[in-house]
Amino acid sequence: MSAYHIGEHEEATGRRKTITAVVIVGLALALPFMPAAQQQQLAFLLRSSVLRPFVSIQEGLAAVRLHAVSTEEFQARLDSMVSALTNQGTLAEENGRLRKLLDLSRRLGTAYLPASVLRAGTAGSESMFLLDVGSDHGLRVNAPVIGSGGLIGVVREVRASMSIGMDWTHPEFRASAMTMDGEIYGFVRAERGLFREGGRMLLDGIPFHNSLEPGMAIVTSGLGGVFPRGITVGIVDQLAAETAGWRRSYWLRPAVFPGSATHVLVAVGTMSERPTDLTEVMQDSTTQRAGPIAGSGDRDRLEGPGS
Amino acid sequence: MSKALRVSVVVVGLAVLHFLLHVGFGLGDVAPDLLTVALLVGVREVEVGWGAGIGFVLGLLEDAFAALAFGASTVAMTIVGIAGARTRDLFVGDSLVFLVSYLFVGKWLRDLVYWISVGEDIRQPFVESMLIGSGLAAAYATVVGVVAIAISGAWWETVR
Repeated sequence: MSAYHIGEHEEATGRRKTITAVVIVGLALALPFMPAAQQQQLAFLLRSSVLRPFVSIQEGLAAVRLHAVSTEEFQARLDSMVSALTNQGTLAEENGRLRKLLDLSRRLGTAYLPASVLRAGTAGSESMFLLDVGSDHGLRVNAPVIGSGGLIGVVREVRASMSIGMDWTHPEFRASAMTMDGEIYGFVRAERGLFREGGRMLLDGIPFHNSLEPGMAIVTSGLGGVFPRGITVGIVDQLAAETAGWRRSYWLRPAVFPGSATHVLVAVGTMSERPTDLTEVMQDSTTQRAGPIAGSGDRDRLEGPGS
Repeated sequence: MSKALRVSVVVVGLAVLHFLLHVGFGLGDVAPDLLTVALLVGVREVEVGWGAGIGFVLGLLEDAFAALAFGASTVAMTIVGIAGARTRDLFVGDSLVFLVSYLFVGKWLRDLVYWISVGEDIRQPFVESMLIGSGLAAAYATVVGVVAIAISGAWWETVR
């Protein structure tokens, strides 16, 4: 073969490689513009095939962790019994607190299922979580996800035995909220910080003639048809911004920090099959949070859902 | 073991380890970005078309868990795959300095393209996200990548 033909062959090969690379880049650029349903289908296909072993490992670890927590809880109860010999009043208080946490599931009845939370930990998955329940258990899209402390997020995608939810730190998360007395309404969303960890919960859209005091409990209002009324969202921390004569916004201390949520309750069935007002059910945890915080301003008193 | 096979084993091993640490153990940012390290190591041995393909596949796997911007990781990894493969023609280096620079710039470039791809509504401010956050992440991935390469021998003689 002549040098001319060798050069021509190499040029053709190089052109073919470049075209291949360009086509693949084109495919990659098309992915973000695919319909959301197809994106979810593709992601689900990968999660349930190649990546399934890794998800299973985390499920196994979560189960082990749960058993460890149970052991710690039994140990804590034993310790409490021992301490009761010297201080029965403390035991009664602690017993009551544990009973309130454990009773939440029972009080919510069959409309809410317990589920384990799994987090992917990869780039772009920061505000999402996997739940080990799905449509087989009666789960539907837009089902509220709550912990013993309050609102965590909402289900976005449901599969047979697994579902995906977004927590309140997601940029698209919104929840209509109100004060405990139902006098002042606004909506809750996440406000980005300089760093990913710096995101905070914001109560926005409060009419300018209304003002909220630090320590006031904020609950879901039931408007919007997604979240039932009365789920604890957070506690008013301080004024974030005010637009003269128009509106105010307030920073909230979240009732639940999503990263600490390992086990949650998720609503099943349709909206009409679920209770529309959880004020009575959640009242214990709401008042428990609002009370001491309002007085002391102690940030550390807020607890995660697993506590 | 031939070099091509050794590199393939290292790439697959790093990718598996990445998902094991991030997804299996749920370590999140505590674990380094071994997927990008795997990509950067692998594409040094292939042409641009293969580089784009490897980047596309690895990025798509990462996007399977993405709730914020599906496809952003795929775009970023594909472009880094092409750029990494092109370095074979542009840079002939086998020193430790080159390896460190290659891994650091590669990881930082991946984060930059990802930052651009996710869109204005989701991304964090440039200085905090790219100059501080990604700078640290790139340094972390570089250190772990150099150690992994030195152990596995998936690089040139001078690094081993």
